[in-house]
Amino acid sequence: MAALIEARGVSKHFGDVRAVDDVSFNIERGRIVGLIGPNGAGKTTLLQAVLGLTSCNGTLRVCGHDPFRERQALMNSVSYVADVAVLPKWITVSRLLDYVATVHPKFVLSDAEAALRQTKIKPNAKVKALSKGMVAQLHLSIIMAIDAELLILDEPTLGLDILFRKSFYSELLSDYFNEDRTIIITTHQVEEIENILTDVMFIDDGKLVLDESLESIGEQYTELMASSEHAAAARALTPIAERSVFGQTVFTFAGTPRERLKELGEVRTPGLADLFVARISRERAA
Amino acid sequence: MSADSETTASDWSLMDPKWNDDVPIYRQLRDRVVAMLLEGVLTDGDPLPSVRNVAAEYRLNPLTVLKGYQELVDEELVEKKRGRGMYVLPGVREKLLNDEKERFLRDQWPDVLATIQRLELDPAELLANGHDE
Repeated sequence: MAALIEARGVSKHFGDVRAVDDVSFNIERGRIVGLIGPNGAGKTTLLQAVLGLTSCNGTLRVCGHDPFRERQALMNSVSYVADVAVLPKWITVSRLLDYVATVHPKFVLSDAEAALRQTKIKPNAKVKALSKGMVAQLHLSIIMAIDAELLILDEPTLGLDILFRKSFYSELLSDYFNEDRTIIITTHQVEEIENILTDVMFIDDGKLVLDESLESIGEQYTELMASSEHAAAARALTPIAERSVFGQTVFTFAGTPRERLKELGEVRTPGLADLFVARISRERAA
Repeated sequence: MSADSETTASDWSLMDPKWNDDVPIYRQLRDRVVAMLLEGVLTDGDPLPSVRNVAAEYRLNPLTVLKGYQELVDEELVEKKRGRGMYVLPGVREKLLNDEKERFLRDQWPDVLATIQRLELDPAELLANGHDE
C-alpha cells in the first residue's frame, strides 16, 4: 500500500522567504509522527500544504489525493486542530455538535457526546463561558469523534496545565489511535510526546534536517558522558555536538558504535530535545 | 469487586512511572512485569492489561508496549491468546526464581565467596548477623 503522505520536493515561498524548502518524506499508516522545529521553521506552513490550505511546489499526495486540488475529497479523511483554533463564542456546545454533524460526513455525534459526558462541559454551555482547558477538551471531543485516517495536531496542548496535557495524550492513545490511523503532532513540549512517537521529523529554516523512526534514533545516536581525561579521545571520534554538565562533557555521536564509546564513559540514547539542539546547531554551522 | 479481579493499568501507576534514560523503555516495561511476577502481584493465569491501556496510562507508543510484551512472550513468561490479550503462564514465579538463583550463583556468588574467604568469616556467624536486620 502506498504511504499515507508522500512529499517530493515540496516548497513554499512567500516572496524571498522560503517557508518550506525542498522537503521530501513519506509517512506510513499507523504512525505517530512528531514534527519538531523552532518558531518560524515552517511547521505550520508544511501542515497547511498537507491539508491543502495552501498551494505549494513539488509533489504532495495525502490519502491518495492532491491536497490543494482535491481538498474537498481530502477533508473526508483528515481532521485538524490548529494552534490558533477558535470556536465561535456565542454558540452552545450542543449546537456546535449538531453543526459539525451536518457538515462532516464522518462525524459520529454519539461518540462526541459520550466523550463530553466524561468532562465538566455542559451541553447547554456557551463557548464563551468555557475555560481554555474546556475549549481544548471540546475540540478534542469533536476531532476524536471524526473517523479520520489522518489527524493533525498543531500545538494541541499549548497553554494548558500539566494535568490536562497528560490526560489529553492518554485519551488520544486509549480512545483514538489504532494501526489504521496516523497522527502528526507539533509541539514545543518535546519531552511530553517523545515516548508516544513512532517517528520524528526535525525542521529548521524550511528544511527537513532529520526524519527517522524512534527505533533507528536509538540505534544510530548515542550520548556519551565522559570525564575530562577521556574528553580528547571522545572528540577524536568526531561527535556531532558537545556540551558541559557539572564538569563532565556530554557528546552526541551519530553512527559511532556504542561498544567503542562505552570505553570512554556512560552511554545512553539522547532525548529528542538534546538531539534536536545538536542537529540544528550543526545544520546552522554548516 | 471480586477478589480475583484483573489487574488494570491503573494498578500499575502505583509504581514509580519515571523512566530511566539508559535502558530502552520496552525493556524497562518488561522488567516491571517481571518484578510484579516475582512479587506475586501477577500470578499464574492473570491477564496483563491491554496494550492500549498501558500505552494510555504511561503515554507510550503502543509499539513500545507491544515490544515489551513480546520480550515476555519470547521468554515464555506470558502467552498471547488470540483476540484476548496476554496471560501469565503457569509456574512463572518458580521459573523466574530459578533464573535469578542461577544468575546469583553464576555472577555474584563467586565474588561473595571470595570475600568471605578473604575475611575468614564463619558461615554460622554470617547467618546470625543477617537475621538481626
